[in-house]
Amino acid sequence: MDSFTIGIIGVVGLVAMVFMGMRVYLAAALVGTLGLIAIIGWESGLGLVGTIPHSKAVTYTLSVLPMFILIGFLAFHAGITESLFDAGRKWLGWLPGGLAVATVAAATGFAAVSGASTATAAVFARTAIPDMLKYGYSPILAAGVVAAGGTLATLIPPSAILVIYAIIVEESVGALLVAGFLPGIVSALIYVLLIIGMAKFNPSLGRPLTGFTWGERMKSLPGTFPIFLVVVIIFTAMYEGWATPTEAGALGASVVFVMAMMKGMKVASLRDALMETAKLTVMIFSIIWGVLVFVRFLGFAGLPDAFAKWVVALPFEPIYILIGILLFYAVLGMFMDAIGMLLLTLPVVYPAVIALGYDPIWFGIIVVKMAEICLITPPIGLNCFVVNGVRPDIPLNKVFRGVGPFFVADVVTIAVLIAFPQIVTWLPQMMNMG
Amino acid sequence: MQMHNQAPPTSGPPGLFWANKWLTKVEDLFALAAALCIFFLMFLGIGQVLGRQLFNTPFMGYIDLVELSMATFAFLAVSYCQRLGGHVRMDLFVRMVNGRARWILEFVTTIAPLILVGLLIYFSWGHFMRAYESGDSTIDLQYPVWPSKILVPIAFVVLFLRLLIETIGYWRLVLNPDSEPFAVPLILTEEDLAKKEIEDSKGSTDRG
Repeated sequence: MDSFTIGIIGVVGLVAMVFMGMRVYLAAALVGTLGLIAIIGWESGLGLVGTIPHSKAVTYTLSVLPMFILIGFLAFHAGITESLFDAGRKWLGWLPGGLAVATVAAATGFAAVSGASTATAAVFARTAIPDMLKYGYSPILAAGVVAAGGTLATLIPPSAILVIYAIIVEESVGALLVAGFLPGIVSALIYVLLIIGMAKFNPSLGRPLTGFTWGERMKSLPGTFPIFLVVVIIFTAMYEGWATPTEAGALGASVVFVMAMMKGMKVASLRDALMETAKLTVMIFSIIWGVLVFVRFLGFAGLPDAFAKWVVALPFEPIYILIGILLFYAVLGMFMDAIGMLLLTLPVVYPAVIALGYDPIWFGIIVVKMAEICLITPPIGLNCFVVNGVRPDIPLNKVFRGVGPFFVADVVTIAVLIAFPQIVTWLPQMMNMG
Repeated sequence: MQMHNQAPPTSGPPGLFWANKWLTKVEDLFALAAALCIFFLMFLGIGQVLGRQLFNTPFMGYIDLVELSMATFAFLAVSYCQRLGGHVRMDLFVRMVNGRARWILEFVTTIAPLILVGLLIYFSWGHFMRAYESGDSTIDLQYPVWPSKILVPIAFVVLFLRLLIETIGYWRLVLNPDSEPFAVPLILTEEDLAKKEIEDSKGSTDRG
C-alpha cells in the first residue's frame, strides 16, 4: 500500500473515531501514531511520536495561551461588566434601542478581557437583560443581543483561538491578534446599525433612554479604565513590539488580578479561577500535540499537498471554493467545539486555501468568525442555551428568534470582510507583520 | 459539545471506588501544580517586562524558565481534565444511542486510546532518558532539560490509570446497563452545559 492510500485511510479513520465520540486529542494522536507506524515503521514511527508532545507543546510562543485564559477567568471577579454596561447606557442610551446598543458596546469592551463567547453571554444575561426588561424592552431583542454580543469576544484580543490558529498555520501570533481588532469592531458596528434600524422601524422593541447629564457620563468612565489599560497594553505591545504576547498577557492578567483583589476576590475564588485556567489550558495543549502527531503523519502521506493541488485544479472560481469551505465550517461548527474543529481541519484545508491565493491572516479571521456564528445557530447554539439558563423566563425558542437578525448581520459581516479584506489586513500590514 | 462531568461517586464497586478516590487526589494535586505554575508565569512576565523596560536589565534565561515550567501546565493536568470530561469531543452520535449500545461505544473509544497512552509512556520516557543521559541543557542559562521532559511520561501514567478506571467503569455498564454509572464522565445536555458556563462566569462579587 502506498503512503497516500494510508493517508486517506487515516483521514477516514479519524473522522470515524471522532464521530464515535472519542476525545479529539486521543483520536488524532491514535490515528497519527498508527499511520506513522504504517508508513515509516514501528521503531522510527513510535520513536518520533514519543518526542512530539514535549517538543511541540513546550515552545515559548504557546506560553501566551494560559495568560490569555487567565485574564478571561479573572475578569469575572473584577466587576467590570457592571461598569461597562453603566457607561454604555449613559453614553449610548439615547439611541433608538439604546440599551441594546449599550449591551453591544459593553460586550465589545468586555471582549478585550475575555476570549470566551459563552461566558460573556452569561455575564451580560445577568447584567444587561434585567435592565432592558425594566425599561420595557422586548425580551426577544434583549435575549438576542446578549447571545449574539457574546460572540464578539473571540475576535477582539485577547483571543486564545486566534493564537491557536496562528500556531497551527505558523503565522505571527501578534499579527493575528492585531488583525482581529477591526473585524471585531466592524461586527459590533453592524450589530449596532441593525438594532438602531429595527428600533426605528418598530419603536416598541426598545425605547431610547435619555436624561443623563455630561457629568454623569464622565463619572461612568473611570470604572471602565482597566479595560482600556488591558487594550492599550496588548495592542501597543504587539504594535510597538515592546513585549512578547506572553509578557503582554502577563501584564494584562495582573491588571485584572489587581482589579479583582480590589473588588474583594476571595482566595477560594482565585483558586477556582486558576484551576479553571489550568483545565482549559491543558485541554488546548492536549489537542495541539494530538493533532500535531496526526499532522506529521499527513505530511508523510503527502495529503495536504495533494488536496491543495486538487482544489486549485477545480474548475470553479476561487471565491466559490472559498464559500464552499465556509459552508462546510458552518455545518461542522454546529456539532463541534470551535477549537477542535479548527485544529482538526486546518492542516488539510489551510494549504488549499493559501494555494487559491487567499491571505493566511485574513482567512484566520474569517474562519474564527464562522466558528462564532455557530454559537448562535440551532441545534447546539450554546450561547442561546446560556441566556435561557440565566433567564428561564425567556423560553429557548424566543432566544433563537432573537438571534435571528444578528445571524443575518453576521453573514453580512462575513460578506463585508470578503469584499473588503483590507479591514483585516490593513492593521497587520501597517506594522509590517502580515 | 464537549463538556461532561463525572458522575457523583455515591456508589460503586469497592475496588473501583478506592482506585478512583486515590487517583482523584493525585490528579487534583497535579492540576494544582499546573495552576500555580500559570500564576507564577504571570509574575515572571511582569518581572521580565519591568526589568527590561524600567531598569534595562532583562532577566537572563527568562525564556528558558518559561519553557521549563510549561511542561507542568501543558501535561500535568491532562488526567484531571479527562476525569472532568473537559477534553473536546463530538458526542452527537453517542447521544443518539441509549442503554448498552451507548456503553459499548464509550467502552471502545476509551480502551483504544488506553493502548496509545501506554505506548506514549514508553516512548516519551525514552525521549526523557536521552536528554538525561546526554545532559541536555537550555541555551541561555544551561538549565538541565530532563526535569521538564520527565513530566510527560509521569502525566501519561496518571492519564493511563484514569483511562483504565473509565474503561472498567464502562465495562461494568456494558455488562449491566441499568446499574448506576460510576467513575465515568456523563454526557451533559445543553441545559447542563449552559448551567456550568453560567456558574463559571459568576464573579466573587455576584456570589458574595
